[in-house]
Amino acid sequence: MGNKSSKITSQDRAILDLKVQRDKLKQYQKKLQIVAEKETQVAKEALLKNNKRGALLALKKKKYQEQLLSKSDAQLLNLEQLTQSIEFALVEKDVFAGLEQGNLILKEIHNETPIEKVEKLMEDTADAIAYQNEISEALSGKLTSEDEDEILAELAQIEKERLVDELPPVPMQAPVREDETENIEESISKQQEVKAKKSQKENRKLEAALETA
Amino acid sequence: MENSFSFPSIHNFPPFYTLQPTQTTWQNQAALWSEIILAYYRHHKLYRLELFESLNSELFNFNNNQGIKRRLRLETLQAIIDTMVKRGTAEWESPPKKVSAIIYWRKPEEWANLINNWILETGMSNSIVTVYEIAHGESSEGFEFHGLDQTILMKALDILVKKGVAQIFQGTSTDDMGVKFFGING
Repeated sequence: MGNKSSKITSQDRAILDLKVQRDKLKQYQKKLQIVAEKETQVAKEALLKNNKRGALLALKKKKYQEQLLSKSDAQLLNLEQLTQSIEFALVEKDVFAGLEQGNLILKEIHNETPIEKVEKLMEDTADAIAYQNEISEALSGKLTSEDEDEILAELAQIEKERLVDELPPVPMQAPVREDETENIEESISKQQEVKAKKSQKENRKLEAALETA
Repeated sequence: MENSFSFPSIHNFPPFYTLQPTQTTWQNQAALWSEIILAYYRHHKLYRLELFESLNSELFNFNNNQGIKRRLRLETLQAIIDTMVKRGTAEWESPPKKVSAIIYWRKPEEWANLINNWILETGMSNSIVTVYEIAHGESSEGFEFHGLDQTILMKALDILVKKGVAQIFQGTSTDDMGVKFFGING
């Protein structure tokens, strides 16, 4: 419809034939009307000349023209109805073609988005989201949890070092200290004993170091 | 003629009927004559000018009550129409013979636009119209192109065909032409 290069179809030619016939019928009717009027005139003139037979003939002719005229009226009506029916059928055809085309395109679009593909896409999206979460975790939170022990150990180390730094100056009376440590040794477990001894040793080393300094 | 055409006063001026020898005067004279011809043809919706016949018509004759008679000479009329042909307001029907001319008080392009607008306005796009119907059908009654000369009509339709707005074709059983309009604004 409305196509610039649209060719004339056989239907177009058929419609043209009908419309040309309609035109011809209309021209024919025009002629009949003129002839009928003329016959009336002829009849009047014949009567004036007292030619009754001539007048009668003219009126007969006129009657016949009028009959033809009414017959052609019916034909004209038929022609026009047929033409209009064809034109309407063509419109219907166009409407149907339009609907068909629309339906086809809708199907095509649906074909491009099948349910399995959509589901797969949604799964893929979920996977991608999970992966993204992993990445964010790895970049922010998870690293600390994995190395928590290490970090905690490091923290303890730093704290210990700080504690050592903040230790009060070592008292001069060393023997008192020895007794105290002996008391503690009795109350705590062997492990702690070892630890205590270790720290004691360290303390002593420290003391020595401090003393020499 | 039904309602008569009122000629401008120059139409009653005797020298107006003689070809003026001075070039500039002649140009003015020819221009005035062509104006009168176009106005007269538009008024009476005429399209063809048969030179020999027209020379006897009121258009190219002047008769005043003082008994002064003037008539345009054939050569003068031919010269006037020659100037009209140059301006595109007339066309010799079968040149080189200068006996009959088509008068374009509307140019074929204008007729083409009028016809295409009529199709668009009456919703006849994509339907089949007979050539006869355009100029003589009931549907075109009251429109300016009703009664349009066949030659001009075909020219106007050819313009629409060239524009891609319409297509002319023949029926299966007759030579009568039909037109399919595509409903495009030319």
